Amino acid sequence: MFEKLGEILRKVTDKVANAIFLDKDLVDSIIKDLQRALIEADVNIMLVKQLSDKIRKIAVDERIKGIEKKEHILKILHDELENILGEYKQLKIKREKNQQNRIMLLGLYGSGKTTTIAKLGNYFAKRGQKVALVGLDTHRPAAPEQLKQLAEEHKISYFIDLFEKNPAKVWKKVKDKLKDYNLILIDTAGRHTLDKVLIAEIKALEKEIKPTEIILVIPADIGQAAKKQAQEFKEVTDISGVIITRMDSTAKGGGALTACAETKAPVYFIATGEKINDLEEFNPKSFLARLLGRGDLEALLEKIRSVTDEKSQKKIQTKISEGKLSLEDVIEQVKSMNSLGGFDKIKSMIPGFSKIKEKIPESVLENQETRISKWEHIIKSMTQHEKENPEILEKQTSRIQRIAKGAGVPTSEVRSLLKQYRLLNDMVKSGGNLEMSQGLSQKQLQKFARKFGKKLRF
Amino acid sequence: MFKFLKEKITNWTKKISKEKEPEKEEKKKVVIKQKEEKEPGFFKKITEKVGKIKVSEKEFEAYGEELKMLLLENNVAFEIADKIIESLKEEIIGKEFLKKEIEFEIKECLKRIIENILVEPFNIVEKIKEKNSDQPKEPYVILFAGINGTGKTTTIAKIANYLKNSGFSCVLAAADTFRAASIEQIKKHGERLKMQVIAQQYGADPAAVGFDAIQYARKNFVNVVLIDTAGRMHTSKNLIKEIEKISRVCKPDLKFFIGEAITGNDIVEQVKSFDWAINIDGIILTKADVDERGGTILSVGHVTKKPIIFLGTGQEYDKIEPFNKNKFLKELGL
Repeated sequence: MFEKLGEILRKVTDKVANAIFLDKDLVDSIIKDLQRALIEADVNIMLVKQLSDKIRKIAVDERIKGIEKKEHILKILHDELENILGEYKQLKIKREKNQQNRIMLLGLYGSGKTTTIAKLGNYFAKRGQKVALVGLDTHRPAAPEQLKQLAEEHKISYFIDLFEKNPAKVWKKVKDKLKDYNLILIDTAGRHTLDKVLIAEIKALEKEIKPTEIILVIPADIGQAAKKQAQEFKEVTDISGVIITRMDSTAKGGGALTACAETKAPVYFIATGEKINDLEEFNPKSFLARLLGRGDLEALLEKIRSVTDEKSQKKIQTKISEGKLSLEDVIEQVKSMNSLGGFDKIKSMIPGFSKIKEKIPESVLENQETRISKWEHIIKSMTQHEKENPEILEKQTSRIQRIAKGAGVPTSEVRSLLKQYRLLNDMVKSGGNLEMSQGLSQKQLQKFARKFGKKLRF
Repeated sequence: MFKFLKEKITNWTKKISKEKEPEKEEKKKVVIKQKEEKEPGFFKKITEKVGKIKVSEKEFEAYGEELKMLLLENNVAFEIADKIIESLKEEIIGKEFLKKEIEFEIKECLKRIIENILVEPFNIVEKIKEKNSDQPKEPYVILFAGINGTGKTTTIAKIANYLKNSGFSCVLAAADTFRAASIEQIKKHGERLKMQVIAQQYGADPAAVGFDAIQYARKNFVNVVLIDTAGRMHTSKNLIKEIEKISRVCKPDLKFFIGEAITGNDIVEQVKSFDWAINIDGIILTKADVDERGGTILSVGHVTKKPIIFLGTGQEYDKIEPFNKNKFLKELGL
């Protein structure tokens, strides 16, 4: 996501930074690039105009000289972009005993409310909340079923009513059953345009449920209509925050993001894919850092934390410190990497990755999943001794052949797994104190990324 | 619909006429008398300002920039807005116009350009009839594709209803085997519309579901097969390959791309990818009633050179309109 926009922004900043003299032509061309990039990202036209006016003003200001001017322009650009992205606010779940958190989601048709509810439920359940999903979308055919299937798949409690058509009545029915939960996520019917009937329905629901948070769900590819949407919803109810979905497309979310900043509704999360873990907390600062190619370690670590539980992390850690990593551990690691959404999803968070990107063949980054399932079969065809000491397989063609036959894969596949194992083992040894839980230093990660770039050829 | 864009054009043009007023007060008065109230002032202004003989390049640039911003604000994608301005420039600069006719001329130019961008939509009912008379035993197969949450299933139900009212029998194929409860959703539509739904279990091969539905239609002499597919991001290569396979196996007579009328610049990327993958025949834009801006119509039309066939305008089954080019132009005030 955002590769194109990020590229242009990086180019613009490089252009400014490398310019010997900022003459009018250069400034004009920079502004033109910038305008195009932002407009293509659906950023509100007025904001784009304001931004370019500000830059132009500084560029022609005679009082600021030379190098200072460059820095000034870069700073303004950075500040303004941060402004456009809005404020950072976290979705807080209160932990007090008698306090039940009730979060209601609103949004247009097909913006992804139900999917987002399941993701949110999973997100908070992993963080130790007692979560229940309530389906009040009684309009769309099979909406409650969708919530049910998602909830069952991810083992989250849910309450739906397949026959009742009045959402307020559904709520009354399930209300008493919700006492044991401290976080209630409420799915509502999609809205088209806001007419009086719908407004009345929202208000009635609001009165009945008394939600602690009302969250608007907006898709990232929405264009210049975003602002109007956000405003309209904001007028009707007290929108406390926004979740932006479909951030994984080529869309840049500019429309949605600026709309939120303007209506002063903070963006809590962005959703970046179809899978349950594709939900990220939104932090404008680190988001901008990613956009500008500086990576975002915090988000990466947060993501890693969200998919691995502490126990298995400790286990791996002791194994790493002992310098002995079995093949099964490797698979375990790669699998959890995959539940992050694969390398493709997290690469933008690695600092400096945008610069080495060209060196990595694309085929490496995609299609990890099929490869990993093959690896699993391979490992299952090994003896216990082989699993724990994969070194003994090196140059033992007969063993490798036996395993390949057992797993139904060519021997080259077995060898590539061994190579991968060696690579990771080396990395662990050279990395030494690779303490994931306390965060990696920038240097370590860069080294890591560079190694990936060089060695990771399957 | 599209009131917004029309309003904007009118407002903007009025603004320009006002700004320039002091310069040419006398002429202006004459012009105002001549023109009707309804006619946007932009054309008036260009008329007066350059009405003598020609429009110079410099003069055009200033107006062009504003027209561009206006198009962008109304959700026309960047490259298409550029193109429109460019074509307008080519048509106008250097040509000589009579003072009285220039407003009309510019309007005509703009109209011609937009007309060129949009491809004339075909009549789906005619197409089905054609095939039915050519090969009476073969069903007419329609495939629907698009990204997540654009309203594919709802649109299919609407079109099924539309075709049913035109006297065709339909069968629905639940080839969205990925999203939770998608099969239940289309089954409910099938119940309401009293149509057969062919479905398998979740995770089944969507191409196989489509194939089954076509087989069923052949055996039972059903006229039309409508295949619903899972929403897919155009950035996901594997899913795009999957839709390619569905298209290959089912050999649809008609392939629709379904997009949202509120999508911004991204619609260009979306429709390009799908067109590249399965070579779509037509476009349906949903949620056209949500916003008054009509820019997306121009964007998709220009990028694909494929016609827009329907606009979805609401949640009920009858809220679907065949797209009419002339009506659209009229609504833009051209």
